Amino acid sequence: MFKVFLSGHLKEFSGGRTEIELDAAPRTVGDALSSLWDEQGSLRDRILNEQGEIRQHVNIFYDGRDVKKLHGLSTAITKTEEIHIFNAVSGG
Amino acid sequence: MAESSGRLLVGTAKGAFLLELNGSGWSIDGPHFSGRSVYAMMLDRRAGRNRIWAAATSWHFGAELVFSDDGGKTWDMPEEMRIKFPEDTEKSLENIWQITAGAEDDTLYVGVAPAAIFESHDNGATWALNRGLWEHPHCKEWTPGFGGLAVHTIVTDNEDPNSLKIAISTGGVYQSANKGESWNVTNKGVKAYFLPDPYPEFGQCVHKIVRHPHDKDTFFLQNHHGVYRSRDGATTWEEIENGLPSNFGFGITATENGNVFIVPLKADGERFTCEGKLRVYRSGDEGDTWEPLTKGLPQDNAYEVILRDAMDSTGDEVYFGTKNGKLFGSRDNGDSWEMIQGSLPEINCVKAY
Repeated sequence: MFKVFLSGHLKEFSGGRTEIELDAAPRTVGDALSSLWDEQGSLRDRILNEQGEIRQHVNIFYDGRDVKKLHGLSTAITKTEEIHIFNAVSGG
Repeated sequence: MAESSGRLLVGTAKGAFLLELNGSGWSIDGPHFSGRSVYAMMLDRRAGRNRIWAAATSWHFGAELVFSDDGGKTWDMPEEMRIKFPEDTEKSLENIWQITAGAEDDTLYVGVAPAAIFESHDNGATWALNRGLWEHPHCKEWTPGFGGLAVHTIVTDNEDPNSLKIAISTGGVYQSANKGESWNVTNKGVKAYFLPDPYPEFGQCVHKIVRHPHDKDTFFLQNHHGVYRSRDGATTWEEIENGLPSNFGFGITATENGNVFIVPLKADGERFTCEGKLRVYRSGDEGDTWEPLTKGLPQDNAYEVILRDAMDSTGDEVYFGTKNGKLFGSRDNGDSWEMIQGSLPEINCVKAY
């Protein structure tokens, strides 16, 4: 099982869940997200923009690192079987 | 004459508030979309509807267009967002600045950042990018101002569904006579002091335009420095600044009796009310002269900013909100004012019905 941990701010779009287990073996972070959309479709537009990019103020971590600083959605799943999705520390 | 129904929709930096005037004063309900910024709201009462539209923007999770058919008890927020730029544009939605009813009962327009219009002809069930404006040769040359690059004003004509007039910051006034298939630029006479050519064809930072309630060819314009009037359907413009303490400001509204209201701000570098006095200026002669209105408004240490959509009127009532979260209203054509709320979040928009 692949596990996705979500910021509490996303509960509005995740059916109240902050952990979602996926019956999937994704090869990349993008694959993991595709499986996540199958489970909870309303997360897609809130995490990615309409061009399929991770929103500016959303951060996705794999193996403790921000995937925007790795290979983005193409970041390979090679170690842990989990990702963490947080809203960035921003706002006013 | 349009009578007030005593309803206000107030969008703030931290959510939306719904106000109603009843026997004991104003009731307030909110915040809806707590923590999200709401720049645009609209009450659609056409064809028997009672639908509140709102643009709720999360700086984390994006801007979305939602509606309520039960007075705000529940909001329809679909799994897939309603307003999305097509893939070929390579752009993504930043904010929704305006929601406007079209002349036809099921037509709606929204103005967004980056500068574009989306339109629906099925009461909001489906939306499409207006390609006529998006593919206009000027589009790539418009530049963002402090608030971004947005279509923030859309003026429709109840008697002519082909007529659309819009304002873009920074781009200026554009209009279409064929339902948005093509667009003409109409900024003649409007100054852009911040450009090498002060009277360019386009590139002006027009903050707001409004139509006269009865003369469909007369328009008023609050510019980034400059207050103007048009007598020819927003095509050419003349200055109307006689009696104003400053020609800078954002909001402007025209009441049912033809009076025009603005709140001048000191200058673009300062952006607060002149001399620390909150004064609304009224013109009863379509901009030839202006008079200050102060009764009920603070005249000491009042450093307020009224944003472009934070001033509205219904019938002969006028309402406005400030960035400091104060909501004011006048029910006697501006002669006197009351503070309806004093500590709301920063007010982005006020819509009166």
